[in-house]
Amino acid sequence: MEPGWAASRQGVTQKLTETTVTQVLCALSDIPDGGSKGVLPNARGRDQGFVVRRGAQVYGYVNNCPHYDRAPLGWKKNEFLNGARDHIMCSAHGALFRIEDGQCTIGPCLGQALQPIAITIQDGMVLGEVPSAAPAQA
Amino acid sequence: MRIIGPDELVFGVDNVEDCRTFLTDYGLSDAGDGRFEALDKTALTVRSVDDPELPAPLKTGSLLRLTIWGVEDQASLDAIEAELSKDREVAKQDDGTLRTKDDAGFEIAFRITRRIKLDLPAELVNSPGAKPGRAMNEVAANQDAEALPRTLSHIVYFVPDMEMTAKFYIERLGFVITDKFTNTGPFLRPQANNDHHVLFMIQTPAYMQGLEHLAFHMQGPTELMLAGSRMVQKGYESFWGPGRHKFGSNWFWYFNSPLGTHMEYDADMDLHDGEWVEREVPMDKEAAQLFLFENIEKWNPGGPPPGKG
Repeated sequence: MEPGWAASRQGVTQKLTETTVTQVLCALSDIPDGGSKGVLPNARGRDQGFVVRRGAQVYGYVNNCPHYDRAPLGWKKNEFLNGARDHIMCSAHGALFRIEDGQCTIGPCLGQALQPIAITIQDGMVLGEVPSAAPAQA
Repeated sequence: MRIIGPDELVFGVDNVEDCRTFLTDYGLSDAGDGRFEALDKTALTVRSVDDPELPAPLKTGSLLRLTIWGVEDQASLDAIEAELSKDREVAKQDDGTLRTKDDAGFEIAFRITRRIKLDLPAELVNSPGAKPGRAMNEVAANQDAEALPRTLSHIVYFVPDMEMTAKFYIERLGFVITDKFTNTGPFLRPQANNDHHVLFMIQTPAYMQGLEHLAFHMQGPTELMLAGSRMVQKGYESFWGPGRHKFGSNWFWYFNSPLGTHMEYDADMDLHDGEWVEREVPMDKEAAQLFLFENIEKWNPGGPPPGKG
C-alpha cells in the first residue's frame, strides 16, 4: 500500500503533506454511465479508490467508509452503488452517500463524508489527484 | 424457554437480483420466494424494500426487517407469549408464529424451528499422537469440494443501549452471558443451544442501530477457507479474515454484502453449558482474534533461480 493511502486507511489523524500526484485512473469509457468502478489497485489487487460516472461527469473517492478505519465500501469488484444507483452504498452496514459530494445521508457514518479524489478528464482519460507523500512527522 | 437460535432473517432491499447472486455464490440454496437456505433450512429472506408485507424498517440505514428465532416446542412459544405479553403487544400469526419488538425496537418473531437435524461428518484431521481422523488412503484436499453453509450461527446487533437490550434477552427470554467485552457488549447463548454465542451486541449511537453481521457455520476451517477464497476469486470484497477469534474460538472470514451487512463464515465454535463462568476483557485488536490472515493469489515455488530466468 502506498504511504499516503496507508495513512488514510489506518485512520491516522496527523495531517498528510499536501503533495499529490496526478495519475491516470482509467479511461472514461471503462466506467459504465450511471455506474461505478474501482481504481488504484494496491499490490494485492484491492482497489484503494473508486469512481462514479454520470454522463461526462466523474466523481472519485477513497475506498474507505468513514465508519471504520479499514472498511472498503463495495460488495463486489466495481460495485459501489445502491440498487437505485442514485447513491453510493457502503455494503458493510448499508450507509448511503450522495454521489456528488460524498456526504453520508443515512447509516453508521451520518454527518461524515467520503474522502474525495479530485478528478479531471483529459482526452477520454480519467485523472485523479492522488496523495503521493508519507504522513508528515509530528 | 427452549430457544435454539436465529431461524431466519428477513431483509428489505432495493437490489434483489444482486442479493440473489451474492447469496447463492455464498453457498445458500435458492428455495424460491426470496428465501435462501443453509443445509439445515435456516435461511435469509430477501424482499423488495417496498414489499407491504415487510415489518416497518428501522429509522437507520439497516436493511434488516425481522429476526425470527426458532424454538424447540409449543410450550416454549406459550411461555414466550405469556412473558412478553406482560408489557407489549404480541401478535399471533395463523401459523402460530409470535411477532413483537424487543426493547431496542428490533422487530422479532418466534416460531417452532423449521431447521432439520443434520447428520454430517466433521472435518476429519490426522494429528500425531492421536487416532487418525481419516482412513488409510483417504485424501483430504479436494479443490472441487462442496463448501456449503450448514446452519445460521449467530447475529450481531448495533444497539443504542447495550445494557438494556442484553437485559431483555437475559431476563425475559432466558439467554445467558458466555463472555463479555467491557463497554462493547455481551456474547449471549439461549437455553436450547450450547454454541458460545447466537447473539452479540455492540454499543453504538442510535443512528447506527442495525445488523453488524450475521454468520453461518461451515464444516470446519478447510471449508471456511475454500468458501472464502472462492468468494474472493469471484470478486467479492473480503472485510476481515480469515482468522480465528478468541471468545468463541470460531474461525472467521467476513465479507461485505449487498444486504448492507457483513456476512461471516464461521467454523469450530466452542460449546458451553451451565458450568461455564463468563470471562470479561476490554475489546481491542489482541482480544478480537488469535491470528489474522489475508487471502493472496495462488503461488508456487520452483522454476529457475532468481536472475537466471
